[in-house]
Amino acid sequence: MSLLSVKNLQVTFNTEAGLVEAVRGVSFELGRERLGIVGESGSGKTMTGRAVLRLIRPPGRIMADAMTFDGQDLMAASEAQMRALRGRRIAMVMQDPKFSLNPVMRVGAQLMEGLRQRDHVSRAVAYAKAVAALDAVQIRDVDRVMEAYPHELSGGMGQRVMIAMMLIPNPDLLIADEPTSALDVTVQAEVLSILDALVRDRGMGLIFISHDLRLVARFCDRVLVMYKGRIVEEIAAKDLLHARHPYTQGLLNCLPRIGGTRGPLPGLDRNAEWAM
Amino acid sequence: MGDVMALIEIENLSVTFNANGRRVRAVEAVSLKVGEKASFGLVGESGSGKSTILRAICGLAPVSAGRIRIGGEAVQSPRGKAFSAQVQMVFQDPYASLHPRHTVDRTLSEPLAIHGIGDRDARVMTALTDVGLPTSFRFRYPHQLSGGQRQRVAIARALMLKPQILLLDEPTSALDASVQAEVLNLLMRLREERGLTFLMVSHDLAVIDHMCDRVLVMQNGRAVEELSRTALASAQMQTDYARSLFAASADRMLEG
Ligand SMILES: Nc1ncnc2c1ncn2[C@@H]1O[C@H](COP(=O)(O)OP(=O)(O)OP(=O)(O)O)[C@@H](O)[C@H]1O
Ligand SMILES: Nc1ncnc2c1ncn2[C@@H]1O[C@H](COP(=O)(O)OP(=O)(O)OP(=O)(O)O)[C@@H](O)[C@H]1O
Ligand SMILES: [Mg+2]
Ligand SMILES: [Mg+2]
Repeated sequence: MSLLSVKNLQVTFNTEAGLVEAVRGVSFELGRERLGIVGESGSGKTMTGRAVLRLIRPPGRIMADAMTFDGQDLMAASEAQMRALRGRRIAMVMQDPKFSLNPVMRVGAQLMEGLRQRDHVSRAVAYAKAVAALDAVQIRDVDRVMEAYPHELSGGMGQRVMIAMMLIPNPDLLIADEPTSALDVTVQAEVLSILDALVRDRGMGLIFISHDLRLVARFCDRVLVMYKGRIVEEIAAKDLLHARHPYTQGLLNCLPRIGGTRGPLPGLDRNAEWAM
Repeated sequence: MGDVMALIEIENLSVTFNANGRRVRAVEAVSLKVGEKASFGLVGESGSGKSTILRAICGLAPVSAGRIRIGGEAVQSPRGKAFSAQVQMVFQDPYASLHPRHTVDRTLSEPLAIHGIGDRDARVMTALTDVGLPTSFRFRYPHQLSGGQRQRVAIARALMLKPQILLLDEPTSALDASVQAEVLNLLMRLREERGLTFLMVSHDLAVIDHMCDRVLVMQNGRAVEELSRTALASAQMQTDYARSLFAASADRMLEG
């Protein structure tokens, strides 16, 4: 049985300017694997991830024919049941790390909070676990970062702190929204190898949202390509760079390349048939 | 110095933060020069001081040593209105840099109001179109925008005052391939049309290669190696660290 099953998910916002359909009928199954979600800005990747956790603020609305996590009906779950799942069994690394960290609480205290309150471990054990989690994501100066406030971190350090925090409770499902977009390529490789090990050794399910097609092609098993709230293509990651769908191809063609010409990059033809 | 005057000159810049009594040496003795109408890239390890250099130029970081000159003149502290008309920065974090309770319209017209510039409506509409956003987004709030849409608002805001220098901190890392292409094309076009000078941070070597003539590789607060675009594209780096960045970017090479 799959870990997560989503059938005909819709997310809508009733705004003054009219109804925004952010997600329009998305269905997918996730096993203990690395599922990538790619697609252009505004295509509904983040809203799909947040909807799984039922973290859509009003006036946003979530509808689905079914949304099941490990046998539990997420659409029917009470708010209290959702709270028990969030963080502990389903974790999400948000696209906006600094926004998700508490700005007036030291990084170390934030990392230890869950361990202390949820798992009731001693301060010393929590401290050691927090330090180990920061070490794993290649933070230099771990002692300093434990004492730091979020605004004292670089963009990529904030991102790594978020990843460390989400991984401490050993979730069964991790939804990672652009988790490595602020990391240099060598640190990124280390962080990806941690995620990879969790999927391989612990059987965690991973939804990896990213607009970096080349990264997703290398790292994931399977990829959903989204456009305007819909999945337009589902493809094995190893085939992504040779995708047939004109939208996916269009996205690939837009990328600059080392040693390429410096002429204008091709754009997407939004009048093509697939765009309608 | 060379034939073209350096528009941005940084000499032995050091930045030291004091965080809870600890001294954090974020930048140590870094020097660089960016010629007029040139594009200069900063790449390197996360936490190595790239954003801090850009912030120091804007007067937003505690400089402990060194000099910063724009157009041959030492920058004034505080920077003042003339500086912001000449130099604008696009911050790494579009979530933090947009005011959550200001509409897109207010965000874009505020710099115009501060500098007493009229014709605001038309300028706001043009700015939105320039960054590829529908003009109907004008009255949205940041939380009603996706990550990439916010980043485009931040870029539009930096362009409102028609600055000569743009400091760009990961300007496209929150953008998908198609919007990245649109934004990079826009930046290239503006550079041609308005003679802009760029100092930009990116961890995507393909973006740096596409946009920049020279690039400085940083690690742990220090400059490791400066490379020309040709040296970058042909892998002629001297240091192990620069080489490791290049090696980890193999998927970004033009297929041979
Ligand atoms: N509160 C809201 N009110 C109205 N529209 C919204 C709201 N939140 C999101 N949207 C819209 O929903 C659409 C999908 O947004 P989402 O954040 O899922 O995009 P995304 O694929 O994650 O994009 P990005 O790559 O830029 O992060 C966007 O067009 C966005 O403008
Ligand atoms: N306000 C501050 N107080 C204390 N330390 C700070 C502050 N701002 C930045 N630092 C530290 O300075 C160092 C350099 O940070 P900076 O943001 O310049 O890195 P960066 O190269 O831009 O990294 P990234 O690629 O992750 O964005 C980091 O160790 C960071 O923790
Ligand atoms: Mg998003
Ligand atoms: Mg930075």
